[in-house]
Amino acid sequence: MSEKELLIQYRTTGDLDLLGKLYAPYMSLLYGVCFKYLQDADKSQDAVMQIFEELIRKLRIHEVDNFKSWLYTFSKNFCLMQLRKGKATQYVDIDEQVAIGNDYLDESDPKEWSESQFEKLESCMLTLKPEQERCIRLFYLEQKCYKDIVTLTGLDMNQVKSYIQNGKRNLKICMENK
Amino acid sequence: MENNYQLSRIQNYISGLMNKEEMFQLEKEALEDPFLQDAIEGYRMQKGVDVRQLSLLQQRLNRRVEQTKSTRNAQFYTWQRLAIGSAAGVIFVVLIAFIYFRNFTSHTSRTTEVELINPENKIAIEPVLTGGDASPIGGWNEFEQYLQKNTQVKDLGGKVVVEFSVDKNGKLTNFIFGGQPNETLKKEVLRLIEQGPKWQGNQGKLIILFPIDEYNFSQVIKPPHCFGIEEQAN
Repeated sequence: MSEKELLIQYRTTGDLDLLGKLYAPYMSLLYGVCFKYLQDADKSQDAVMQIFEELIRKLRIHEVDNFKSWLYTFSKNFCLMQLRKGKATQYVDIDEQVAIGNDYLDESDPKEWSESQFEKLESCMLTLKPEQERCIRLFYLEQKCYKDIVTLTGLDMNQVKSYIQNGKRNLKICMENK
Repeated sequence: MENNYQLSRIQNYISGLMNKEEMFQLEKEALEDPFLQDAIEGYRMQKGVDVRQLSLLQQRLNRRVEQTKSTRNAQFYTWQRLAIGSAAGVIFVVLIAFIYFRNFTSHTSRTTEVELINPENKIAIEPVLTGGDASPIGGWNEFEQYLQKNTQVKDLGGKVVVEFSVDKNGKLTNFIFGGQPNETLKKEVLRLIEQGPKWQGNQGKLIILFPIDEYNFSQVIKPPHCFGIEEQAN
């Protein structure tokens, strides 16, 4: 049974077996996500189970198209709520959130690029901050891994990552506006 | 399983077991997939993948699914019990009704029995069922009481068998007396019938017993419809 069929079947029957089958493949990834936010092994395990409990009700009501992205967004929100409850406030960059939402939308079709689009990309690259541009080039064009970029640029691993993430987002915005 | 494959990739990535191309591939995928990205970051914070932890989590999930199954079974049994309960309830009601009707029926027949033991000095009537369909308007009981009240023969016992037909006015005519009844009783019967209630039906045959001391009236068995249950004319 495919994920979609499982979702539909569960919504109609409420059979937990089905939901278990649907959920199990994501548990290890979810644990990682929860750990990122909660930073505690026991809390993260509990969160994974609590999220499952929430799904029992939610997935009977909501029609979910893309389970993976839905689950990710839901789980992330769940963890953030947990943090808020624990009065440990976590600030999340709203731009990042928006970008994440968009990321899932256009992962579908890698279109053929025309010459004008490459030109557009080049001109957009010039609008980026120099560190962003450099990291983007190293990563996407030269296909270097983060570690290599760290050694090549002398930047910190987290800096590299955020330059790439933000650069990618800025490029996308620039491309869409031109 | 795709998921376990991802997990081992994450593990290899974090513990530096990947070559540069593999690292780049995963990093690129993670950039497109925030879910994966967050998971990698989480595991990096935890400094690696703990497989035992994850299998415990899997066990918890399995238990959770099982638990709901058993609750559902428990609920199922509750419904079953409920069904049995309601069935028992229905059977109980039916039984009560059955007993009630049985008692009601036996109650009437008991009453009939009491009536059958005819007290002395009471006129008893016995419609012969094969004799026809005639019945007095007001019922046999009332007719008997009428006879009892209005008979003027108190000191003479005997049995009168009489056949008759009912005319369109509800009056009895064409009397044929069976046997050789006592003339006094015969006249008394005719008088009582003449002054008595109207009848319905067409034909009738009646045995009328006038009380005598020696006669055992209890032997006279009357059909239950003589008592309160009126026989309707066809």
